[in-house]
Amino acid sequence: MSDSLPLATSLIYQIGATTAFLFLAAVGLVIILGMMNIINLAHGELMMMGAYSATIAFHQGLPFWFAVIVSFFVVAIFGAIMELTIIRRFYGRELGALVVTWGVSLMLGQGTFLIFGPFMPAIKIPGGSFSYGDFSFSVYWIVLMGVSALLILALWLVYNRTTYGLQAKATMQNAEMARSLGVPTKRIYTLTFALGAGLAGLSGALLAPTATIAPFMGQQFVAPAFITVVVGGGANVISGAVGSGVLLAVIKTPIGMALGAFSGTVALLVAALIIIRIMPDGISARLQRLFDRRMQKRQTS
Amino acid sequence: MIARALRLVGGDADIGRTPLFWVGFAIALGFFLLYPTQVSSFRASNVAYYLLNVPMGLGMALLWGYCGVLSFGHVAYFGIAGYLYGIIAGNMAGSSWGPLAGVGGGLVVCGLVAAVFGYFVFYARVQKWIIPILTLVFTLLLETFLGQTAGYQWRVGSVLLGGYNGMTGIPWFQLGDFVFEGYSFYYLCLGVVLFSYLGLRMLVNSKFGKVVVAMREDELRTEMLGYDTRFRQCAVFVISAMLAGLSGLLYVQWGNYITPSQVGLLQAALPVVWTAVGGRTSLLAVVIATIALNWLTYTLSSQGNQYAMVIIGGLLVITMMFFPRGIVVMLAEIIGRRPWRRSSRKGAA
Amino acid sequence: MSEATLLETRRLNKRFGGVVAADNVDMTVVKGELRCLIGPNGAGKSTLFSMLGGIQRADSGEIFAFGKRVTKRQAFHRVQRGLGLTFQSNRAFHELTVEENLAIPRKPAQAASRQPAQERYSFALESFGLDPSDKTRAGELTHDQLQWLEIAMVLAGYPELIMLDEPTAGMAVEETRRTAEVLKRLQDSGLTILVVEHDMAFVREVAEVVTVLHQGRVFAEGSVDEITASEAVKSIYLGKA
Repeated sequence: MSDSLPLATSLIYQIGATTAFLFLAAVGLVIILGMMNIINLAHGELMMMGAYSATIAFHQGLPFWFAVIVSFFVVAIFGAIMELTIIRRFYGRELGALVVTWGVSLMLGQGTFLIFGPFMPAIKIPGGSFSYGDFSFSVYWIVLMGVSALLILALWLVYNRTTYGLQAKATMQNAEMARSLGVPTKRIYTLTFALGAGLAGLSGALLAPTATIAPFMGQQFVAPAFITVVVGGGANVISGAVGSGVLLAVIKTPIGMALGAFSGTVALLVAALIIIRIMPDGISARLQRLFDRRMQKRQTS
Repeated sequence: MIARALRLVGGDADIGRTPLFWVGFAIALGFFLLYPTQVSSFRASNVAYYLLNVPMGLGMALLWGYCGVLSFGHVAYFGIAGYLYGIIAGNMAGSSWGPLAGVGGGLVVCGLVAAVFGYFVFYARVQKWIIPILTLVFTLLLETFLGQTAGYQWRVGSVLLGGYNGMTGIPWFQLGDFVFEGYSFYYLCLGVVLFSYLGLRMLVNSKFGKVVVAMREDELRTEMLGYDTRFRQCAVFVISAMLAGLSGLLYVQWGNYITPSQVGLLQAALPVVWTAVGGRTSLLAVVIATIALNWLTYTLSSQGNQYAMVIIGGLLVITMMFFPRGIVVMLAEIIGRRPWRRSSRKGAA
Repeated sequence: MSEATLLETRRLNKRFGGVVAADNVDMTVVKGELRCLIGPNGAGKSTLFSMLGGIQRADSGEIFAFGKRVTKRQAFHRVQRGLGLTFQSNRAFHELTVEENLAIPRKPAQAASRQPAQERYSFALESFGLDPSDKTRAGELTHDQLQWLEIAMVLAGYPELIMLDEPTAGMAVEETRRTAEVLKRLQDSGLTILVVEHDMAFVREVAEVVTVLHQGRVFAEGSVDEITASEAVKSIYLGKA
């Protein structure tokens, strides 16, 4: 009994950390997809950009958490420029947007390589670790779980309590109607893309201490981020991302612990294929339906 | 039979239907046929490399341009066929049937993997944006897997997978005692290109091809005219994956090696770039763009130019922004000075 | 279920969130009839229509087509068995030519034995003034021609039963009458037709039997005269019930 408690704690910790990782990797992507129906394939490179900004700021002497916030704004501004110059032409052309953002991602990856060379000095993981039983726990990953929870709360507040959030939701539902009601839809799109990009940058900065900082580091986030989004679906993106993050973490963690990290990632892809076969609209639509049914029961009873 | 084939080739689902076009086609073919007689075998081998990528480009044009389904991971099939050829032909070294068995095995496995993948995505009727994402993830995982196969424990029979250093010493293609290397390999590539182009032109002009275009235009309407659209999309996916596999086979026969970076993110972008720049609703435009862009990339990188990927990425962005129907197609229209194809007017990707 | 029943629903239900789109719908379409499905906006006509076509799944209940239970089968199965369907908004392939549009529909395997169906197709082409070798892009046709093209496309698949969703929407009086005339002639030649329609004048002109939907339920069923005379039906159209 005394042996299984540390094991259980470690498993829960691992699942929590994987969920936090998947959520952070996907959050910027999910905002842009859900609000604008644009799939941003340069997402990994935006995360890379966040990691670079944070690393440079950190080595210039800024405190780590300050560097993280700086990277949010740097990448958000880049996102706004990207929306104004390129993305704007691709509304309503999903596949076109996918292809053009891929072109952007190639330029960003190789461009970074040409400017900064193949490596950047790393950021040491803040916070150290402690052990319980035979298992070791990183303080930083526990902080990241907390940060993820805070981000979910903050996004909920933004989309439910601010004018921007209200206007963004109206634009998402029916852009034409929103425009005729005086919502500045163009500015909403720019802001939304900037927010999504900024969140990608923030996540990249937060994950920077756990990763190797290199021009093509964005690639390692592509698979987990996109699988999380695909499984989450497009109905209610934030709850979808959280739901699929948890589900995928529960699938990946034990397989990864038993068979190694690569098998864990393969399990992600296999799980995604099977999940979309069972529920093609993703988890968010399933959650939505459950919610509807409960509302019905409440109404009828 | 022959008349029917000719009618299909000459149908209106691609540019170039006038007698003048076929004269030009014959001249271009003549050029490629005579080219090796005028240059060193090194130069011929370079052009063979440009040519061997054409089937993969054609597969992308069929899938994306005609069927409206986008794959970002077609290099996975390129890699699967290449590695399988290496394993089979390598293990049968000494037997003159080895290379042929490798070709057969590579293509069959490519088709099977694509069919399984296609079953999951098309029979689930997923939204169109999910397919490029999942294909991309698939090829990235394949790269990761192949990358960690260094060491002696990762061998199949007598062939080492080789991790990031790749698989080396892959045999030439061989029919009976005739080995395709140097000039003869060039002609092998040219033949494959010619047959896959003409074959696909017949396919897109057939009834099947018309239904494929109809699915691109309106999938539900097509299903409500009596077609199992899931099956047909899956079939097109398999055909185009096998074309990518064909390129992969020629690639390993050309260079006698393959590395995991052949299925990596940068390589994965290339077929999409060729198809977009050429113009995805025209097979011929994609053939031209594939050869031209391979020449460009090769020339840039052989001069030690590190901007190659930036230029390719920039070209993709500019094409998608300003020439969504493709640069070659646009030039062809200016030359032809008349709208030759109605259905390609749809610019939206 | 008798031989003559081509389409039948049993206690069909469908909800969208809190909205009931189909509430225990029982409906039968008999061979050779021309039935109109009417009802005020939001009565559930389109939902019923797409469930019959196999485009949407019912939450519960059964659908039978051509004597087979097809509740859970894919849409193309019923098309291959002899169903044809047009959509509310025109969905001919606007980017393809008229010729291609008419060539795409799948002919049944034993097409040669379906002589009446072939004749119906030729008749429709002739009456609508469509040329099966016309190289005009469909998108360049007028609205009325597009509506007719889609009906002709459906007939090109040699169906036994066709379902039309507001075939005369947006048509002028003369064209509406022409469409009605063609539909009646098609029915005379043995084709079974189910039409969703708003325009009561059109309904009165073509229909023999009418099903009235209201709030997802079958509200009334009967001959055109019975339905148009019914006070209850009038009152739901005026929003009293």
